[in-house]
Amino acid sequence: MGTPPFTMCITSGKGGVGKTSLAVNLGAALTRTDRKVLIVDGDLGLANVDIFFGLSVDTNILDILANGSDPLACVSFPLDNLGVLPATSGVPEMVALGPGDQDKLGGYLQCLFDHFDLVLIDTAAGIGASVLWFNSFVGDNLVVLTPEPTAITDAYALVKVLSTEHRRHRFEIVVNQVADTEEGARVFHQFQMVAGSFLDVDLNHLGTVVSDPLVGKAVRRQKPFVLASHFGPAAQAVRRIAADLDPRVVTAAASV
Amino acid sequence: MAAEIVALREQVRQLEASSRIDALTGYYNYRHLMEALAAEMERTRRSGVPTSVIMTDLDHFKQINDTYGHEIGNAALKQATRVWHAAIRQVDVACRYGGEEFVFILPGTRFGMATRAAERLRISLARTPLELDGSRLNLTASFGVAAYRRGEEMSVEGFIDRADRYVLQAKQAGRNQVAFDRSQLALQETAVSASEKALLTRITAAGDDEAPL
Ligand SMILES: Nc1ncnc2c1ncn2[C@@H]1O[C@H](COP(=O)(O)OP(=O)(O)O)[C@@H](O)[C@H]1O
Ligand SMILES: [Mg+2]
Repeated sequence: MGTPPFTMCITSGKGGVGKTSLAVNLGAALTRTDRKVLIVDGDLGLANVDIFFGLSVDTNILDILANGSDPLACVSFPLDNLGVLPATSGVPEMVALGPGDQDKLGGYLQCLFDHFDLVLIDTAAGIGASVLWFNSFVGDNLVVLTPEPTAITDAYALVKVLSTEHRRHRFEIVVNQVADTEEGARVFHQFQMVAGSFLDVDLNHLGTVVSDPLVGKAVRRQKPFVLASHFGPAAQAVRRIAADLDPRVVTAAASV
Repeated sequence: MAAEIVALREQVRQLEASSRIDALTGYYNYRHLMEALAAEMERTRRSGVPTSVIMTDLDHFKQINDTYGHEIGNAALKQATRVWHAAIRQVDVACRYGGEEFVFILPGTRFGMATRAAERLRISLARTPLELDGSRLNLTASFGVAAYRRGEEMSVEGFIDRADRYVLQAKQAGRNQVAFDRSQLALQETAVSASEKALLTRITAAGDDEAPL
C-alpha cells in the first residue's frame, strides 16, 4: 500500500476566477520539490486543464466509468512529475454524476491517487452534484475568490453549502486578481468576518495572487507561468503558496 | 330541435368538465394535468418563458389511513388541498396526480420562483393541523420542483418524472421538505440570505478606504 496522498479541491462557485490557472501552476510549482503531482480535471462540462498544458488527449476521466479503462492509462504527463487526468468537454449529459457513478469513480480515483504524493482537483463553477461530490471526496478544499461582488457571494454560497450540508469546515482561501497583497489581505479579512458571524467555518488565507498579464500569456502559450523564464508577480505568489503547502504534503505522506 | 341540441351540448360540456375534476379534492385530474402541461410546454417553446411544476406527496399517508381509517385519510387530503389552494396563484393549475400525489403547474414561472412557491406550500400545510374530535393530526408533505426551458428535449411524462425524482429525494432526506436541482439556480439564490449578501457586497465597495465592517 502506498501512503495516502494530500488531496485538495480547487473550487470557487463562480467561473472565470482563476481555478484552472491556479491548479495548473500550483501543481507545476510543487513538482520543483520532486513531488509526484496529479491534476484531475473535475470540470466535466468545460474541461480545459489539457489546454493549459497544450496536451492533445484521447482518453478522459469518463472513459474510466464508461469503458472501465485503466485510470493510470488515462493520465498524460506534460511534465516529468506531473500527471493530468483530463475530462471531456462539452458533453452535457455526462456532466451529472449519479450516485452509482460517484461511488464507482471514487473507487477508481482512490487507487489512482496512490501513485502520487499530491492530487489537485480542478472543479466546475456552480454547486452541481459533481462540484459538491469532488469537494466532499478530498481532504482539503481551496476556494478561489476575486474582489468582485458575484465572485465573493458565490464563493460564500459554496462555503456555506459545503459547511452546512457536507460537513466541510476548514477552507483554504486564495484571493486572485487583486491589485496588491494589501487588497488581498483586506478582502480575505472581511470575507472571514462575514463567514465567521454566520457559519461554522475555519478559513485560512493561503495566499494572494495579483493580476498579472503573464497569466494570460501563459495560457496562450499553453505553458504554466511558474515555469516561464520571464518571472512575474503571479508566479512568485503561486510559488510561495506551493512552498507553504509543501510541508503538509510531507505530513500527509509521513502519517502512515 | 335547436333547443334539444343546446341542451345536449350543455350536457356534454358538463360531462367533459366533470371528467376533468377530481371529485374528492376539486383539483383537476390526471387527464387534465397531462393536457394542460403539454399546452404550457408548447407555450414555453414559443415564448421562451419557462414552465415550472411542483410535485408533492403527502407524508405518512398510508399510516394515517391505517391508524385513523379512510374517512380521516380523505379528510387529510381535503385539508391539504384546501390549504394549498389558498397558497397558490389563480393562474396555477392544481391537479391530483393520483392517490396522495399532486402536481401544480406554474405557467410562465422561472425555477427560482417555483422553489420559493413550493416552500410556501410546505410551510402552509405544516402549520395547519387537521382538527379531529379532541385531537390534532399534523400533516406534512414532501415536494419536488422542476422547470422546463425552451430548447430542452423533454416529454410531458419526462417533465413530471423530473419533479418526481426530487419528491423522492425530499422523502429520503426526512420528509416535510422541498428538493430540487440546486445547480439549476444561480448559486446565491439558493444559499445566501439578504443580510449575508448585504455584508458581502460591501467587501468590494469598501475600496481602499476604511473597512466598514
Ligand atoms: N492572477 C491573474 N492575473 C491575470 N489574469 C488571470 C489571473 N488569474 C486568472 N486569470 C485569467 O482569468 C481567466 C480565467 O481563468 P481560469 O483559470 O480559466 O478560471 P476558472 O478555471 O476559474 O474558470 C483566464 O483567461 C486567466 O488567464
Ligand atoms: Mg476552469
